[in-house]
Amino acid sequence: MRHRNPLLRITVLPTIGLVAVVVSLVAWWLGSSAHPASWSEAEVEILQSLWIGSLPPLSPDPTNAVADDQRAAKFGQQLFFDTRLSVNAAISCSTCHQPERRFTDGLSKGRAIGESLRNTPSIIGAAYSPWLFRDGRKDSLWSQAISPLEDVNEHGGSRMQYVHLIATDQGYRKTYEEIFGRLPDLSDRSRFPQNASPIAGAQWNDAWEKMTEQDRHVSNEIYANIGKSIAAYERLLMPGPSRFDAYVEAVVSGNEALQQQLFNDDEVMGLRLFIGEANCTQCHNGPLLTNHEFHNTGVTSFAGEVPDKGRVQGVRIVQSDPFNCLGAYVDTNASDCAELRFARTGPELIGAMRTPSLRNINGTAPFMHKGQLATLAQVLDHYNRAPLAMIGHNETNPLNLSRVELKQLESFLESLAAPVATASEWLEAPVLNLEPELAAAER
Amino acid sequence: MDQRRNMVSDRACHGSALNKQRALRAIMMAVGLFASVLATGNPPASLQTDKLTGVSRSGQFHLMIESELDPIVINRIHRWVLRVETADGHPVSGAQITMQGGMPEHNHGLPTVPHVTASPDAGGYLIEGIRFHMSGYWELEFTISTGKDEDTVLISLEL
Repeated sequence: MRHRNPLLRITVLPTIGLVAVVVSLVAWWLGSSAHPASWSEAEVEILQSLWIGSLPPLSPDPTNAVADDQRAAKFGQQLFFDTRLSVNAAISCSTCHQPERRFTDGLSKGRAIGESLRNTPSIIGAAYSPWLFRDGRKDSLWSQAISPLEDVNEHGGSRMQYVHLIATDQGYRKTYEEIFGRLPDLSDRSRFPQNASPIAGAQWNDAWEKMTEQDRHVSNEIYANIGKSIAAYERLLMPGPSRFDAYVEAVVSGNEALQQQLFNDDEVMGLRLFIGEANCTQCHNGPLLTNHEFHNTGVTSFAGEVPDKGRVQGVRIVQSDPFNCLGAYVDTNASDCAELRFARTGPELIGAMRTPSLRNINGTAPFMHKGQLATLAQVLDHYNRAPLAMIGHNETNPLNLSRVELKQLESFLESLAAPVATASEWLEAPVLNLEPELAAAER
Repeated sequence: MDQRRNMVSDRACHGSALNKQRALRAIMMAVGLFASVLATGNPPASLQTDKLTGVSRSGQFHLMIESELDPIVINRIHRWVLRVETADGHPVSGAQITMQGGMPEHNHGLPTVPHVTASPDAGGYLIEGIRFHMSGYWELEFTISTGKDEDTVLISLEL
């Protein structure tokens, strides 16, 4: 009878409803924090696609005949650490790409002769990318490697300076000729000036222009071979398996105890967000956690700086680059150069930057193309807010995740920390001319 | 890691609670999976290309895609051969074909500009530079023009 009382009905029924909602929420909470996590078949498939074991062997580079030549890799290692490859004999590739920092420098922007325009990216796993530099203005590892040498803010030297270094340093000359064949006679300085460059230093541009087309071509070939050797070295720098990869293996094998040992609840939830609600895998996909593509994610410039045009400019540069896949300095025409021939341009690419691999996340702060964000927490906060882009259009939408969820994502990202899967002898400057086979050849 | 090991042993002491959690979780997952199937049609993770066919808006052209990459996966540049036929099954040769596409949900286009580079045989068109850089729902629009007729074929795919 009492339940028929209309007054009670309007208080009891909503109460029951409220209890039901609370019970549902508790059930959801219990469900979502349960451990070990259960992953659906589709989710396991996604996890496997991100697993480092899914990384295929590096494809050959038909544009670089010495890409997988150990002698070239050793030569490239020497060049990589050699400060004579700079205008003041003080800067090497390793000045900014420091092995102990996963080949980055810990700075917002690289500092060498001057300040670089962008943040120094890691080169571990870079050999997998069809595009190099944050704006993709290079389409091969070897053509990228020679570019900073002539950048006035980076190595700052001239093309002919580097070519003459190879020809005049006895050790370099010998090694070069063993790999690439006999060097031409470059001793006539009226034909081959000590300093000449089509890029760096206005004073060197004239000297370059005065060289004959044939002499410029001969010099470019040697210059390209410097890049091809450095690329052979860089192709050895590979990311190693992380705790995340071990977790994926434990999930696939159904080893729940190991899963629990490897990932705590926050990391599991962070991973769930990473492949789900947070949309991270839209760009950070595949075993290197990058799609190697260009996206505008609305990262703001430093105060007073003109926003970076990004890929829209990079694609124009690479299409007219004499060292690109369609240029005269490729070793074979076996590559169809599909990425270059079918590259996209247009307003969508204004302010777009290449997705970095998250395999190098540990020890590579600050983040983003100019090192604008100091911590992972700041990066996640940025994507959570998705601010308007200063130029172009921010492709991302606000995630509206809670602070707890952002923390869980951060916990997961930290599980990607991993050592380099490359022998330590490659991670430091080599001792010159001590390679046994070279020594044997000398005898 | 030590802390995690402790968590493991704690959990071992609360096996029944854990089982309840698992049961609840399984129910939640089943409901969630059902909801996602209803909402999205539960796309496959990769795409078998025998499903990639379409008919033009007015019905005059049939388009079939043969992919050199099968199944199609993300982040791999590759080529397709497009087969164009009339409604009664005759190959259509000498047509101009252009392709556009993108992800409507993300308001962006294809990462490349694929285009027809050769015609290997009657009704066949080699299109190069195909690459998809995200999983999800893609829409492709092919415009087929024979000079006297022009029509478009819409093909959607889930990667």
